[in-house]
Amino acid sequence: MKSTTAQPARPIGEALLNRNRFRLLGLTPDEIIKYFFNGNAVVAIVVLALITIFLFREGAGFFGQNMRNLRIYRLAGLEYVDFIRRQVDEHTALNRALNESRLAQFTKLTAAGKTVEQANEGLTPFDAFATAFGDSVEDVRGVLSDLTEAATAIKQKEQVNHDRLEQKGMLLGAGKAEEAEKITVTPVDFAAETVTLKGAFPAYQEANRQFAAKLGAALASAPAMPDAKLQRQIDAVKAKGQALIAAIPGTERAMQAWRHDEPIPLSRSLTSFLFGRQWLTASFWQDWYGILPLFVGSLLVSLIALAIAVPLGISAAIYVSEIASVREKNIIKPYIEFISAIPSVVLGFFGVAVLGSALRALSQLSFLSWFPGFPMSERLNSLTAGCLLALMAVPTIFSLAEDAINNVPKHFKEASYALGANRFQTIARILVPASLSGIISAILLGFGRVIGETMVVLLCAGNRIAIPDFTEGLGAFFQPVHTMTGIIAQEMGEVVNGSIHYRALFMVGIMLFLLSLAINYVAQIIVRRYRISIG
Amino acid sequence: MSAHPFKAQQTSARSVERVAFGIFRAATYFILLCATCIFGTIVFKGAGTVFQTKAPFINVPFLSQAPETLFVFEHEGVKLKMGDREFRKFKEDHNLQDIAAESYVYSSGGIWPCIVGTVLLVVGSMAISLFIGISSAIYLNEYSTHGRFVTFLRLAILNLAGVPSIVFGLFGLGLFVVFMPVLQNFDNPAVASLPVGFGHYLNFSGWNVCLLSGWFTLAFMALPVVITASEESLKAVPMGFREGSLALGATKWQSIRTNVLPYALPGMLTSSILGIARVAGETAPIMFTAAYVVRDKMPWDVERPLDMLFQGVMALPYHIYVVSSKIPQNEYTERVQYGSAFVFLFIVMGIALTSIVLRIKMRSRYRW
Repeated sequence: MKSTTAQPARPIGEALLNRNRFRLLGLTPDEIIKYFFNGNAVVAIVVLALITIFLFREGAGFFGQNMRNLRIYRLAGLEYVDFIRRQVDEHTALNRALNESRLAQFTKLTAAGKTVEQANEGLTPFDAFATAFGDSVEDVRGVLSDLTEAATAIKQKEQVNHDRLEQKGMLLGAGKAEEAEKITVTPVDFAAETVTLKGAFPAYQEANRQFAAKLGAALASAPAMPDAKLQRQIDAVKAKGQALIAAIPGTERAMQAWRHDEPIPLSRSLTSFLFGRQWLTASFWQDWYGILPLFVGSLLVSLIALAIAVPLGISAAIYVSEIASVREKNIIKPYIEFISAIPSVVLGFFGVAVLGSALRALSQLSFLSWFPGFPMSERLNSLTAGCLLALMAVPTIFSLAEDAINNVPKHFKEASYALGANRFQTIARILVPASLSGIISAILLGFGRVIGETMVVLLCAGNRIAIPDFTEGLGAFFQPVHTMTGIIAQEMGEVVNGSIHYRALFMVGIMLFLLSLAINYVAQIIVRRYRISIG
Repeated sequence: MSAHPFKAQQTSARSVERVAFGIFRAATYFILLCATCIFGTIVFKGAGTVFQTKAPFINVPFLSQAPETLFVFEHEGVKLKMGDREFRKFKEDHNLQDIAAESYVYSSGGIWPCIVGTVLLVVGSMAISLFIGISSAIYLNEYSTHGRFVTFLRLAILNLAGVPSIVFGLFGLGLFVVFMPVLQNFDNPAVASLPVGFGHYLNFSGWNVCLLSGWFTLAFMALPVVITASEESLKAVPMGFREGSLALGATKWQSIRTNVLPYALPGMLTSSILGIARVAGETAPIMFTAAYVVRDKMPWDVERPLDMLFQGVMALPYHIYVVSSKIPQNEYTERVQYGSAFVFLFIVMGIALTSIVLRIKMRSRYRW
């Protein structure tokens, strides 16, 4: 007999598995949910990519603009004038050194009980020498100021042309061809313009002759002072003054060989940023965007912070994980975690309001005066910022180092005790070496946190854009610096969008970004490669 | 009779141990001491501004007024200090036209707009970052399988955590402030704009300095912390919970919704809060994206509700930066400087402390 029941279209098993579910774009609800979460997770990658893209989008234009900046520096003859300027600047620096020595000597004399008149009288020969020294450069200075005006005028012309061209381009872009026609741009004839600069060369040579003669006479008449220190300083100035005279023919030769149309290699745009020793903006003469002083400042402050934070953080990690009682542990750990939540701007404010003055008062104590660099001349300097940054780095270093020490297998410790080692020997010879990779990566991540910190350095580092004078030894740690993070925070609010200065700040941001990625990368490598295999 | 043979002997190793442990302990307590000093100074000096000895014991004007310029001047042999409005009224009343007065900006009045701005910034960025962060953590812990994509994702999260805050600020400036499209309906569109119909254009001119830019910048900054914290608490839910639910025929999402999230969510929220406290304390990312030095109107004084998102706010951390760097340190400015620092510290530390306490409580509640 034939069955009348209709056979199911599909086998039962298949029908059970392939239930006729709701689908959207071929996806079941579960899959949609999964992709929703997946999509959210991708945000992390997208953000990282966007950071890279937008930093480079804003920063990349810097190279073109900097190239133009450097090119005009040469074309308009500013470079030519700077030969003279350097000479005058060196002389001014020596003159300043003389003035400082006089002031120091004067303070010393009055402190020794002499009246102001007596002290001044004792210094009369010195003053005569200093005046002669200072006046010797006047002729050269006159030539310099004339040429400065001339070169600035050429640069100004070029700038006006550039602005007109931009305006014309904008008008053409907006379809206003007639108005664009009205703007006439006559290109600057740099060859002709710089000829007038070079025409001043004989006058400069003459001024140099005067300078050499006067300076030589001044140096020859340098007085012998009774004070040994002052005499040493005078001798140093004498030696440097002779060097100045000796350098004159070299400068003249270089100026004669200088040509306004000598091409500038493209790489100069990058190297003048990476290795430039000057960050000088909004200047009447020439802007320089060299990251070196900022980088050195960041590094110096970070090193001070790490020098304080590493011993403290690691000692605390060892103490908490191995020595402290459970009750101590339960207080110390959350407290240090709590420190990491102190807003950096509050720490910075504390530095401005309290710590800076306190440290300077400490450095002025007379029994500490043997310490190099004491007393500090500035309230806000790299040490103030470093101390506060140390407090920010401690929680990072502490918690990561503590994790690393806790992760050392228990039987390492037990084996050490079984061999008769005491607790300190076990810590020093077993636990710390075994967790060294973790501790080093903790230090690196602490370094990353410190070098990327903004508000504390902005408020407390003193914000003087100059490479610290490392010839002063330890005194370099008490000089004000400016940092990469600080310069962005300070100047970004005041620059015009799209200007070279704006793009230079983005370039500094790119450097910071790459630096943080590099630090992270090295920390991971160290953890992965040097971890002691737990067996 | 000699001492018993197992008595601890005084060896050099033992004295080295004692000295070393002493140093470790001293270092640990030195850290705590430094932190306490900072808290102490700010609380002690700030409390003078925020609290008062008379009822209602809290200095209400400081918390409820906008910042004003402080004028210090001498009148009839008495040294007086007044806020801007009061000073003007005083001049009119006493008919004084040109009286010599020292002025200190922001040193009078209060910090109410800054508190409001900070709360708005934190709440908005917290919502965005919790939403994205928790979803990411669910994906990473529940759905993802080991593979190249997940390794890459984790690497991205790790690296994102190390990016300096000022770089986030630059990113926010480059993306949200000067690039993000805004909908506009004028007839003459700018060069870089996309028509979207109905006479409207997407104009890539950026959102400008506004609340929305600040929200996203801060949210992305908090993201790594939120993801890591949320994943930790998802991991803490035992596998058996999921397996039991799946064995009863629930779909994956059903088992996550009913058997995982209810147990993990409190932990996720509390440990994320610590990250949020840190973000709330940041100044650098909002300097160019959301914060104004001074703004007369309150955020809700706008024509359309949506405009609220497209305007800058005053924020406490930025205000503290301004008052500690742009005005001198003296007896007249101290009030607002320490007062703002104290209120800000109080808010941020309050959030952090809640998180830490809740987490300790949470640990003892769930034990499987």
